[in-house]
Amino acid sequence: MLDTLHWWLTSPFDYAFMRRALVASLALSLTAPVLGVFLTLRGMSLMGEALSHAILPGVAVAFMLAGFSLPMMMLGGVLAGLITVALAGGVTLFSGLKEDAAMASLFLVAMAGGVTIVSLSGNALDLGHVLFGTILAVDSRTLLLVALVSSAILLSLAVSFRALVVECLDPQFLTLQGRHAGWTHTLFMAMVVLCLVASFQTLGTLMAAGLMLLPAAAARSWSSRLEGMIAIAIGIAVACSVTGLLVSYHAGLPSGPAIILLAGLAYVASIALGPYRSLRAGRSRLKANALPRRSQLIP
Amino acid sequence: MAEGQTSRLELVDLQLAQANRTVLEHVDGRFRDGAITALVGANGAGKSTLIQGIMGMLRPMAGKVVCSVPKERRAWLPQQLALDLTFPMSVEELVMTGSWPSHGALKGYCARHYRRGREVMARLGISHLAHRPLGELSGGQRQRALIGRTLMQEAELLLLDEPFANVDAETVEVLMTVLHEMAADGVTIIVVLHDMEQLARLAEEVVVLHQGHARWTTAQAVLHSQPTAAESARLALGIPGVGAC
Repeated sequence: MLDTLHWWLTSPFDYAFMRRALVASLALSLTAPVLGVFLTLRGMSLMGEALSHAILPGVAVAFMLAGFSLPMMMLGGVLAGLITVALAGGVTLFSGLKEDAAMASLFLVAMAGGVTIVSLSGNALDLGHVLFGTILAVDSRTLLLVALVSSAILLSLAVSFRALVVECLDPQFLTLQGRHAGWTHTLFMAMVVLCLVASFQTLGTLMAAGLMLLPAAAARSWSSRLEGMIAIAIGIAVACSVTGLLVSYHAGLPSGPAIILLAGLAYVASIALGPYRSLRAGRSRLKANALPRRSQLIP
Repeated sequence: MAEGQTSRLELVDLQLAQANRTVLEHVDGRFRDGAITALVGANGAGKSTLIQGIMGMLRPMAGKVVCSVPKERRAWLPQQLALDLTFPMSVEELVMTGSWPSHGALKGYCARHYRRGREVMARLGISHLAHRPLGELSGGQRQRALIGRTLMQEAELLLLDEPFANVDAETVEVLMTVLHEMAADGVTIIVVLHDMEQLARLAEEVVVLHQGHARWTTAQAVLHSQPTAAESARLALGIPGVGAC
């Protein structure tokens, strides 16, 4: 029994590449879901998804200029993400178009441009790496970068946490206090871009937002408090990362999709069974509001 | 304003516009510290515009707003709240956010803050709602919680836009009492009102906005002694008075 458990749970981590993958995914699991909770509460989940695709042209240009250099690709991704955020903000400001509509248009263009650049400069394998990530190929330098970025985001979150909460709840209150809600929003979007760029190496640009959004969306069904949502989202992300790596190792599946599929399962289970904002909660509410039967009516 | 009375807020030849259309011009006057001033006027007279100008949300076309109250001590309760009621926050947490601007972003709340928060909620009769999510509150309960935030903020200047609209009678009584107490503590309060009875019970001074101009008068003058002021206030409020058809 113990041998089976050892074979399932610990033996995969005898390999250095699995240990590095574990540390990278745990580092991302501690930061991405926190940002995801704020994104879902702001009704900006699709913005996060769009941004994860918008970093592609930057990554592709860096790949074309410097080859497979992760620091350069991350820098390119950050620049492309920030430019897209600024462009979407500018379009919203000057045209009155909603930010999500502006972002949806821009990310499609960015995605198409990025795929074209990678196709022109590399081969199908490179494109697959950028789009789907290769968590098992994380080297020590990449791991250090992911850990540094995650630490920087956690620190920024700790410093700006109250401002983010107030900006979500009542942006006018924040502005009246002389703390411009716009700056808080910009800082938040910058953190999202950084996190997505850190995630793309492991999960690819197509699934980078998965670890951010799915645990956060699932956590909304398990808690009605912000702190509770954050803790549960982190817990789900950590559990999915560890289990996803183990399943991918034993079943010979790609690691990134395995992690995201498990997060998807957690989301479906939460939507079905959670006590809040779930099918179960909806049924209970319907029962509570149902009209009494004829036999229960007082004559 | 009588000689010797202090004022933290003064309007000097103020001209305010919305979408390049002048709404108010040549507005001059001082709001007395510790007084409740009612802002009255018909729809579109410029009440919300004046409040936005005072709070610094609208840049004056001419003139200026002289306000010695620091930003973290200014509070505004607009009629149309930007508050996201689906946000997972309890009444107590909302009240506590009032202490954040002056307390700083990095420090956590200490026992003194929580004690003060409980005192504020007890004063407003919402202690039993402390852990209830904002989305489950009635309009009156929400208004009490928001006033609780301004009490936590230790606001020196408080602007309220129709605070008694869509709230229950009990909440009106509680808010009236709390606003009088705040004024007695020296808070400058400006409140947009449409109800003459509420104006009579709450305000000492009145600013009547009519045809792009503001006129300072007293509640007594509006209600009893001066027919001209009373008539203009009635006109501004849209209430038929003497001579009305």
